[in-house]
Amino acid sequence: MSADYEALMHRSEVAVSVELQTQDMTLNIGPQHPSTHGVLRLVASVDGERISSVEPVIGYMHRGYEKLAEVRTYAQMTALVNRIDWVSGFASEVPFIIAVEKLTGIEAPERAQWIRLILTELFRISSHVVFTSSYPLELGGVTPLFHALRERERVLELIEAMTGGRFHPNFNRVGGIKPAAGGGKTQKQVSMDIPAGWLEDTRAAMERILGATDDSDTLVTGNELIKARTTGVGVIPGDKAIEYGLSGPNLRASGVAYDLRKHEFHLPYDQVDFNVVSAEGGDCYDRYWVRLQEIRESANIVLQAIEKIPAGPLRAKAPRVLKVPKGQVYVRGENPKGEFGYYIISEGGQKPYRLKIRSTSFSNLSILPWVLKGALVPDLVAIMGSLDFVLGDVDR
Amino acid sequence: MNDQPDSTGTSEAYGGGLAERLGGNAVVEHDTVRIYIEREAWFDTLRRARDEEGLTFFSWLAGIDWSKDVAVGDTVEEPDELDERFEVMCRLSSIENADAAQFITVVPKDDAVIDSITELFGGAEWHERETHDMFGIDFAGNPNLSPIYLPEGFIGHPLLKSYPLLAREVKPWPGDVDVEDMPEEES
Repeated sequence: MSADYEALMHRSEVAVSVELQTQDMTLNIGPQHPSTHGVLRLVASVDGERISSVEPVIGYMHRGYEKLAEVRTYAQMTALVNRIDWVSGFASEVPFIIAVEKLTGIEAPERAQWIRLILTELFRISSHVVFTSSYPLELGGVTPLFHALRERERVLELIEAMTGGRFHPNFNRVGGIKPAAGGGKTQKQVSMDIPAGWLEDTRAAMERILGATDDSDTLVTGNELIKARTTGVGVIPGDKAIEYGLSGPNLRASGVAYDLRKHEFHLPYDQVDFNVVSAEGGDCYDRYWVRLQEIRESANIVLQAIEKIPAGPLRAKAPRVLKVPKGQVYVRGENPKGEFGYYIISEGGQKPYRLKIRSTSFSNLSILPWVLKGALVPDLVAIMGSLDFVLGDVDR
Repeated sequence: MNDQPDSTGTSEAYGGGLAERLGGNAVVEHDTVRIYIEREAWFDTLRRARDEEGLTFFSWLAGIDWSKDVAVGDTVEEPDELDERFEVMCRLSSIENADAAQFITVVPKDDAVIDSITELFGGAEWHERETHDMFGIDFAGNPNLSPIYLPEGFIGHPLLKSYPLLAREVKPWPGDVDVEDMPEEES
């Protein structure tokens, strides 16, 4: 071999080693991407197939509810608060209205409390069905979506029959719930209760939901592809989940069996029998599995509530112009996605001086940079989707 | 139905005991425990609440602007007696029972800076960024105080009471009409 050739080889080796020095690539995901459930942008640095860091960019949907609350009366706010997390509208109304009831000392009648409980659980089913059906879609399986959304439609029909709205019921009033239909005085006499036959329809729908959950179990839960994509992926240990303020199914999937419905409830959850579903793994599969089981628990809660709901009025007497005494109160509830709370500072008068909204998805999403660090790019959508956030709830 | 006993009996007893152990003043209203602490003790008190009191769950952190200068909305009940200040509050709770408390500290407006608690709770980073956006309060030690909700280059802090709500400046809201002068109804 000639010296020329060896020099050439040496030069090419140098060239190759220079080329092999890699540089992190910045990958921009979103703001408009089907897997982001709204408008979320992720700026990810990727080293080959590994994500070395990720910076979520949020705020594209920030509507300033906390500022808007300062110029609205308490009654006007219920129309807004159910738009924060639009998949579980009613469940976000309840803590707000209970906070106002605590400040004013008006207590809702028992029948109204039970209807609040039933509707909250119906929205929980609806929210969890959206997740359990759209999550396989994000992993590439289309069929569960059609199966599950058909059943969700029945839940939405029930909600519509009761409240008149499918997504934004605006059904809570200070001191109870809105009478099922408005109208003049004579009509008011007959329409002061829930629609006739509604409880029977609800029972039939819950039995169908339980059947559909069994279908989902066979179709999705045991599916090898789903398991391969989600088991051991995006593991969040319990202590990290607590530190970041994760709540709801995301927390329970990490082995922390904490459910506000057992510990700090304002609806008659102590009179129904249900289990707190939790899992130990903290991976994407467990987060899916916990939500699927919670559909069953919620359906069972509704079935029990139908048996136990007492007769009586739907609304306590409350003044037309609601002046709320000075005071501060925090009320939180177990929203389908986790702890949802309102901190109201009232200085007397018709409007809150300050309303702090503790929205669930904001905290649930804040762990994203931690959990995505070191993950594979193909797992990004699987991990992100498993946190079940809604961007309206992140951005408020 | 609305009052559940927590691990130590009533919320009054719990709040009083907590304030005594951690140092601070307790105000309990509507089952909401508020512990007022000094700004200097912010980090240490929250650390002790986490380590000694079992309040391990970081729920949220936010600010309040107590101000006489109100651009929109209602003012405070007695504006003459108001002490202009920011308050920063942080809510911690237990993940075993219903124990929870609101820790509140006063941050003066001319020196709006407070220790960051991101070392204690990773989740606090976003909440501190939000509070920085909305009130202009600085958090010493937060690694990244860049805007979270507001767009780049946004001027002002929207949740300050002096910040006008532009939509209302352009067109007054007729909402008050809805809730006043309704005829009296029989029940």
